[in-house]
Amino acid sequence: MNWIDFFGNGLDPKADHIAFFGIFLSIAVFLIGQYLFKISGGFFLFQPLFFGMVLGILILWLMAKWFGVSLPHFYQSAYKPGGDIIFWFLNPATIAFAIPLYRRNDVVKKFWLEILLSLIIGMIISLILIYSLSKALGLHNSMIASLLPTAATTAIAMPISGSIGGVPAVTAMACILNAVLVYAVADMLIKLFRLDSDPVGVGLGLGTAGHTLGSAKAVTLGSIQGSMASIAVVIISIVVDLVVPVFASMVHLH
Amino acid sequence: MSDKQQNSESTENTHEPAPILYQIAIFTGVLFVSSLISPLFPKSFPVPTPVIGLVLMYVLLATHIIKLYQVEKLADFLIGIIAFLFVPSGIQMANSLSVFTNDGAWNGVMLIITIILATIIMLIVTAYSTAVLMAISRKVFHKSTEVH
Repeated sequence: MNWIDFFGNGLDPKADHIAFFGIFLSIAVFLIGQYLFKISGGFFLFQPLFFGMVLGILILWLMAKWFGVSLPHFYQSAYKPGGDIIFWFLNPATIAFAIPLYRRNDVVKKFWLEILLSLIIGMIISLILIYSLSKALGLHNSMIASLLPTAATTAIAMPISGSIGGVPAVTAMACILNAVLVYAVADMLIKLFRLDSDPVGVGLGLGTAGHTLGSAKAVTLGSIQGSMASIAVVIISIVVDLVVPVFASMVHLH
Repeated sequence: MSDKQQNSESTENTHEPAPILYQIAIFTGVLFVSSLISPLFPKSFPVPTPVIGLVLMYVLLATHIIKLYQVEKLADFLIGIIAFLFVPSGIQMANSLSVFTNDGAWNGVMLIITIILATIIMLIVTAYSTAVLMAISRKVFHKSTEVH
């Protein structure tokens, strides 16, 4: 069967019926992940977002095979219209982090200088380490340039990546992987590196490495962690804006 | 100052949450104003709408123009479901899985390993930088770094 018949008038941009598939698939795979995560007692590969993402891509891939179209084409026309509607809600969800930030305004007022300096110094050290690591693993310059701005939110990281000779699509993917990974293994890393004694540091780290998703994780750890992760999301994006282009030209990436 | 804040927070805690449509109106209003500010930044220094919105919302709260009870409920709800909201971003990778295989499978695997290590580096380095700076302000500037 032709997939267009299966979905009704799916390729017609004026027809909105098709959006339901993307929305339903997104929530279905996420809830399956949540269920498996629960009954497996929190096995990290069943972390709902990670599992939902993998299962979702797998389902799209199988359907694309079944209908005999390419995966990107099928994604664009069948899934994306619905996915975009859910994606839009990340806008209000991002500004929602002003609330946990404001709830611990006392900590922000007391440590604003330490927060600012930690993020700037942490970013510079991270850039040096990531650059050396990628060189050691033999990545191309264009791939290295794509990875340097990934601490910033995707909308900032992508244009910067392009301007320093990176591939914006790789940057977007790295930003998502950062967030998914931090959300899935944050507890393990905090235990492994004994970070739990310092709520300010944990919060800033989660916000830097995991974007808003890292902040959501931080909110569940405590109000100080949540507040610090929220402020890190904003400040680190500005820091990346300013520091990464300078760093890239210093190491002659382009 | 902190006493004043404690007071205002406790009154806000006992306050009835604002009707959900009011809360949605505040969120969309902040987003709309932010979307007008965002294009004013130069192309070489992009600041996207939600980031401006976060700052704007924080400023409005800090200046008491908006009270916590007027936005808290919707904010907690959105933060609670944010993992789900990221599902389309994750599935979006279906669109560009080829970037991992363009330069051969080996380079793709190396790229994924680097992304994983880079994430861990950013988390750990930032947390340790904070610990060092906190130790400096404690030992050199004799500032109390206790937080509750």
